[in-house]
Amino acid sequence: MFGLRRGGSYFRIARLPYVWCAVPFFFKPADTAGKFARLRRLRLFATLTLRELQVIDTLYHERSFLKDEIIFDEGEEGQALYAVLSGELLVLRRFDAAQVTLARLGPGDFFGEMALLDQAPRQAQVRAATDTELLVFFRADFMHLLQTHPRAASKISLQLARHLAQRVREANQGKRMEGHL
Amino acid sequence: MSRSSDGGGPIVWAGILLATCLLLLLFRHVLWLVLPFLCGLVLYYMLHAPVQRLVFAGVSKSTAANYVAGVVGLLVLLWMALALPWVLARAGQWQEAVQHYVQGGVRLLLATVSMLEQTSALLRNAHLSQTLGHKISDFSETFTTTYVGDFALTALTWIPSMLLAPLLAYFLLRDGGRFQRFLARAVPNAYFERTLNLLYSVDQTMRAYFQGLLKLAMLDSITLGLGLWALGVSAPLTLGIVCAILSWVPFIGSIMGGLLVVMVAATDFPDQPWMSYGAVLLFIGVRLLDDFVYMPITVGRSLRIHPLITVIMIFAGGAIAGVPGLMLVLPLLGVVMVIGETIGQVVTDPRLRARHAYARMLRERQAQLDLDR
Repeated sequence: MFGLRRGGSYFRIARLPYVWCAVPFFFKPADTAGKFARLRRLRLFATLTLRELQVIDTLYHERSFLKDEIIFDEGEEGQALYAVLSGELLVLRRFDAAQVTLARLGPGDFFGEMALLDQAPRQAQVRAATDTELLVFFRADFMHLLQTHPRAASKISLQLARHLAQRVREANQGKRMEGHL
Repeated sequence: MSRSSDGGGPIVWAGILLATCLLLLLFRHVLWLVLPFLCGLVLYYMLHAPVQRLVFAGVSKSTAANYVAGVVGLLVLLWMALALPWVLARAGQWQEAVQHYVQGGVRLLLATVSMLEQTSALLRNAHLSQTLGHKISDFSETFTTTYVGDFALTALTWIPSMLLAPLLAYFLLRDGGRFQRFLARAVPNAYFERTLNLLYSVDQTMRAYFQGLLKLAMLDSITLGLGLWALGVSAPLTLGIVCAILSWVPFIGSIMGGLLVVMVAATDFPDQPWMSYGAVLLFIGVRLLDDFVYMPITVGRSLRIHPLITVIMIFAGGAIAGVPGLMLVLPLLGVVMVIGETIGQVVTDPRLRARHAYARMLRERQAQLDLDR
C-alpha cells in the first residue's frame, strides 16, 4: 500500500532507480545524478546491475581526506573497507626506522578488504597523497549485504578473489609489496 | 560486536553510572516522549525479524518495512474492528468480574489472617482480621470516587503521545540505516571507524535487550500458563501473558502479577485455600526460574553487566524516576555503557587524538592558504 504512494505500480517504479533517487528526503545527499555511475567505476562493483548498485547505495559513507591525512594506521583494528572515488593514496609500512612506500592507489581501487575477511589488524598505513574522496563500507553492513543479496555477493566475492589473485601474482613477480590491507 | 578492550576503568564506569542517573533524571521530566519511544523501540525490534526475512528474500529495506508495517496495521485494525463491539458489549460484565475477583482475593486474605489468629494469641489480641476487614471495606467504598476518575483521565492524556510509538517504529524500520549514516557524517575522520563500531554496538545492545525481553516474556507466559493450567485456574494463558508483561517492571510488576494470580485462584477455589497457596508457590517458582535461568539466557547475555551493579542501578532507577525509572534503567545503562566504553577508548588513545589534531591543522592550513599574500 505504501509502494503506491509515489504514483503508479510499485513494481514499475522499482525498475527505475532514478525515480527513487528523486524522492526528496532530508537525509539523502543533494547530488544523486551520477551516483550509480560513480559506484560502477569502482572495481569492486564493476559487474553489478543497477538494481544491485541501488542496494550498495544505501550502505556506504562518503569521507573526504586532505593531502597527508592518515586514513588508518598499521596495526589498527580494521572495521571498514575503503574504495577510492578520487585522489591518490600511499600505502606505507615501517621497516626498522624508515617508512617505505609500498604502493600507490588511485580512483577505482579499493583497500582494507582483509578487515572484512578475517578481522586481521591493518598491515600497513594508508595516507592521502592528494586531496582524496573515499567511500567507506562498515564491516557489519558489508557482511550483511553478502548474506542478504546472494547474487550481488557472488559478484563482489569474485571481484575480491580476482583482486587478491592479482596481488599474489604481482607479489610473485616482485612488482608490489604491500600485502593485504 | 567487537570491543577491543573489556570494559573501562573505574573513572569510565563512574562516568557511565553518573550519566545513566542524570539521564534518568532528565527522562523523568520528558516521560511523555520517553515511554512512547521505548514502546516504539520494542515494536521496532519485534518487527525487525520479519523485515529482515523480506530483505533476505531480495526485497529492498524500505519496501520490506512498508509491507510489514502495512500488514501489522491491517491486522491491528481488523482486530480492533472485531474486538471493540465484543468488548463494549461485555464492559458491564467485566466490571462485575473485576469486583468478583477482588472479593475472592479479600476473602482469601481474611481467611488466612483468621487462620493465623487461631494459632497466635498475639494476632488474636491485635484483632488483625477485624481491622483489616474494616480498612478494606473503607478502601473499596472510596476507591471508585477517588481513583477511577483520575486513572481514566491519565489514560486519556497518554493516548496521543502513545500514538507516536507505531510511527516511530515504522520510521526506524524504514530509515534507521539512513539516520545512522546521517549521524556518522558529523564525526571527524580519525574517529570514524570507531564511531561506526559504536553505532553498531549500541544497535546490537538494544536489539539484544529488547528481543531478550520478548523471549523472556514468552518463556514466562508459557511456564506460568502451564502451571496454572495444571492447577485448574481459569484463563491460565491470559494470566501468564499479563504476569509476564507486568514483570517488565522490576519488583512492582512481579508483586502485581502475584496478586493477580492469587485473586483469580482464590475466586476459582473459594473453599480450597490450599489451591491459592499452591498458585502463590507456583508464581514464586516461576519468578525464581525467571531470575536464575531465563533472565541470564535471554536479557542477561545482552547487557553483560555485573549482577550487583544491575541490582544497585534498579534501586537507583526507582529512587530517581519511580516506576518508569525501574523500567528504563537497564536498557539505558546498557546503551550508556557501550557509549562510555567507546568514548573511554577514543579519549585514552593518544594516537587517534594526535591524528585528529593533525587533520585539524591540515584543514586550518588549507583554509588560510591564500591569506598570507
